[in-house]
Amino acid sequence: MNITHYIIKNFMKMILLIVLVSVVTFTLAVNSPIDPIRQYIGTGTVTDEQRDSIEEYWGVNDTKVERFVKWSTNLLHGDFGDSIIFRKGVLSVIWEKAGSSLFLMLSTFTLTGILGYVIGLFMGRFRDSIGDRILKSICITFSATPTFWVGMLMLIIFSVKLGIFPIGFSMPVGVSADEVRIFDKIYHTILPALTLTLVFIPNIALHTRSKVIEVLESDYVLFARARGESQKSIMKNHVIKNTVLPAITIQFGSFSEIFGGSVLAENVFSYPGLGTTIVAAGLGGDIPLLLGITIIISIFVFVGNFIADLLHIFINPMIREEEI
Amino acid sequence: MKKGLISVILITIMVLSLLVGCSSQQTNAKKDENNEKEVKKDSIVMAIGSEPDGGFDPVIGWGRYGSPLIQSTLVETNADMKIVGDLAKDYTVSEDGLTLTFNLRDDAYFTDGEQVTANDVVFTYESSKTSNSIVDFTVLDKISAKDDFTVEMKLKKPESTFIYSIAKTGIVPEHAYSKTYGDNPIGSGPFKFVQWDKGQQLVLEANEDYYGTVPEMKKVTVLFMTEDTALVAAKAGQLDVAMTVPSLATDEIKGMTIYKAATIDNRGLTLPVVPAEGKKTEGGYPIGNNVTSDIAIRKALSYGINREKLVDEVLNGYGTPAYTESDGMPWFNEESKIKYDVEKAKKILEEAGWVDKDNDGIREKGDQKAEFNLIYSSGDSVRQGLALAATAQAKELGISIIVEGMSWDEIDKRMYEDAVLMGWGDQNPMETYLLYHSSNKGQPNYYNPENFDNPIVDKYLEEALKTSDQEKANELWKKVQWDGKTGTSALGEAPWVWLVNVDHLYYIREGLDVGEQKIHPHGHAWPLVANLRDWKWTE
Repeated sequence: MNITHYIIKNFMKMILLIVLVSVVTFTLAVNSPIDPIRQYIGTGTVTDEQRDSIEEYWGVNDTKVERFVKWSTNLLHGDFGDSIIFRKGVLSVIWEKAGSSLFLMLSTFTLTGILGYVIGLFMGRFRDSIGDRILKSICITFSATPTFWVGMLMLIIFSVKLGIFPIGFSMPVGVSADEVRIFDKIYHTILPALTLTLVFIPNIALHTRSKVIEVLESDYVLFARARGESQKSIMKNHVIKNTVLPAITIQFGSFSEIFGGSVLAENVFSYPGLGTTIVAAGLGGDIPLLLGITIIISIFVFVGNFIADLLHIFINPMIREEEI
Repeated sequence: MKKGLISVILITIMVLSLLVGCSSQQTNAKKDENNEKEVKKDSIVMAIGSEPDGGFDPVIGWGRYGSPLIQSTLVETNADMKIVGDLAKDYTVSEDGLTLTFNLRDDAYFTDGEQVTANDVVFTYESSKTSNSIVDFTVLDKISAKDDFTVEMKLKKPESTFIYSIAKTGIVPEHAYSKTYGDNPIGSGPFKFVQWDKGQQLVLEANEDYYGTVPEMKKVTVLFMTEDTALVAAKAGQLDVAMTVPSLATDEIKGMTIYKAATIDNRGLTLPVVPAEGKKTEGGYPIGNNVTSDIAIRKALSYGINREKLVDEVLNGYGTPAYTESDGMPWFNEESKIKYDVEKAKKILEEAGWVDKDNDGIREKGDQKAEFNLIYSSGDSVRQGLALAATAQAKELGISIIVEGMSWDEIDKRMYEDAVLMGWGDQNPMETYLLYHSSNKGQPNYYNPENFDNPIVDKYLEEALKTSDQEKANELWKKVQWDGKTGTSALGEAPWVWLVNVDHLYYIREGLDVGEQKIHPHGHAWPLVANLRDWKWTE
């Protein structure tokens, strides 16, 4: 099997995944007790005649199957439909929101990956030292802590008490768009990114720690020691070599969790991304938007896992020979 | 592998340098902010709730819960909810109530310099009519421009309340309107749109070319954040106005005071007025209740529930007693304000034959126990509190109420046979029509689940809609509540027991004058800024 085959096979898998995800999401959404038209009208007063015309316009009176067929045929033509709450194309809504989210998720992804690995390496190397024990308890505490709660704590400590970070948003208040500098964006992303990082670091750090310990206790490290290799050289030649790959796999595999976490963090920090939007879509019964975001996210997560596989193949020549 | 390591190190260095870069950045930003706070007294930063997702386009509903701010309207309502001119200098209604003619002012310009003409008005209304949004213009038959500054509307049937819809509809420029207008609106209102960062903030500037008085607030920033975050931001000193709710309003914030806005954001109990006789609605849900269908029960509850006590206990004092759906509006009948009187309530019950024969504290009439279900939407703490407090008070009268929280989806099925804790409050008497007209009884639209049907009330409602004279219409709306013999208030048939109007609460920075506020409608967010052009800093 060559690499083209491999990619095509995975592409087909992705299509299948999207079909399944959209069928399941659609079924759940149309069967939810939320009436999108009532949500849309809200506290306003409209006559029955107007209500009928709104229902007609959004096609909510068609049968569920009719609606799904209509939606999926449009999708095949690249048309995701119109969002009910935003009253414009789903893709343009997603496009507007995706930038901030991606920025937040990528910062989190990088920070978690690097810091998590380094911390794990340290913990494994100095197993059972005071440092290891402290870090381990911190990791275990944070892995059991809900994201939104960490977010609220961060807000109270760093924004209200210390006043060094902004309360929320992805840019300064009252500043016109062309005056916003990249530093402002980064500055506003630090707190939510830090929150997410704290929540996701334990995953990779604890995993790396146990891998490091496993390697250090292996026969070949024992042999290397016997041969008189220094600790530094053992870390470099054996430990890092054998633990980076699993760490990377885990990191790419956690794409979906990072997205889930960012939904919560975005809401705490009023950070305008896909997370806040998907919540609005769910609460408003906005099925086209909900499906649109779900599909984009599925692709995103799939690509994350796929990259992990590819990295595996390219970094580890043994796997390359076996699998391809 | 070496390459991998190097790149990992490089990325680490990059991220770290960014972090360091920002921390020096932030101290500067902090300083700027402090300096600004001291000098500027013509700008304001507020968090007043939700963002209009569809943007600032009146054609699909922007401005209907307050004022469009960026656009001007043909007419507007003043602080007393009376209709006064805005873009239209004056207007006339034909004898039959079917034709409305508006004479526009000739000194109004959009902020791009184009003059506002009758064509823009016609365009706005025609677009709104076909927008399939919450803008309800079904009654509008035709609109045309008689000349550059005269607009004529023909209605399908007379509807005196249509003028209130007109007062909420901002006029958009025909030459600059497109699907994306809501993202970047141009209008002729007191404020000029500067920028909208979706999910974050709206920035407005005073429109220096406004035909009316130019606002004193030169720059207005509206932030979109949740109530919790707004409270945190207010505590950090970053806001001048922050919307809040009774349960959060107990916190003291330095330099800010709580502002209470009176509302018709009401809550009350709908009580089915017909007995259970096995009838069903078109949707197949049972109609009627053998206890609440007795007018004595409904009246006794109206008189015997201490509304002031509900305000104190449930709303922390942030509210007022409610007697109708429109307390304080020009179409409110003062006579509907009944006095709390337990003795009278008990007497009504006894005279109707409701007595406690078995001494269990609950009255009976024949085999019928004075007991019914009250349902409310679970998750709404105010409704839950009111339901429980009202139940406790009813118990003292000898009426047993069984409270149940559920989703609206379930309430939909049971609202025709059980009491429901509902709320309304539109600044438009059309609501009165919808709530009590017999055409809405048993319909799946929440207006009249009690199955209230009174031909005399119907007649007043229809006449009030038909009349071409607003004063006369108001008199008729008042008669709907009580005409001396019958009506919808506690004096009449009492299909509702209205309980309270919930105040809208805001933290406001000391020294900020938010002008004379209209009585706020249901929906707690934008009504506060309806008169934004009158706001000023007093020190």
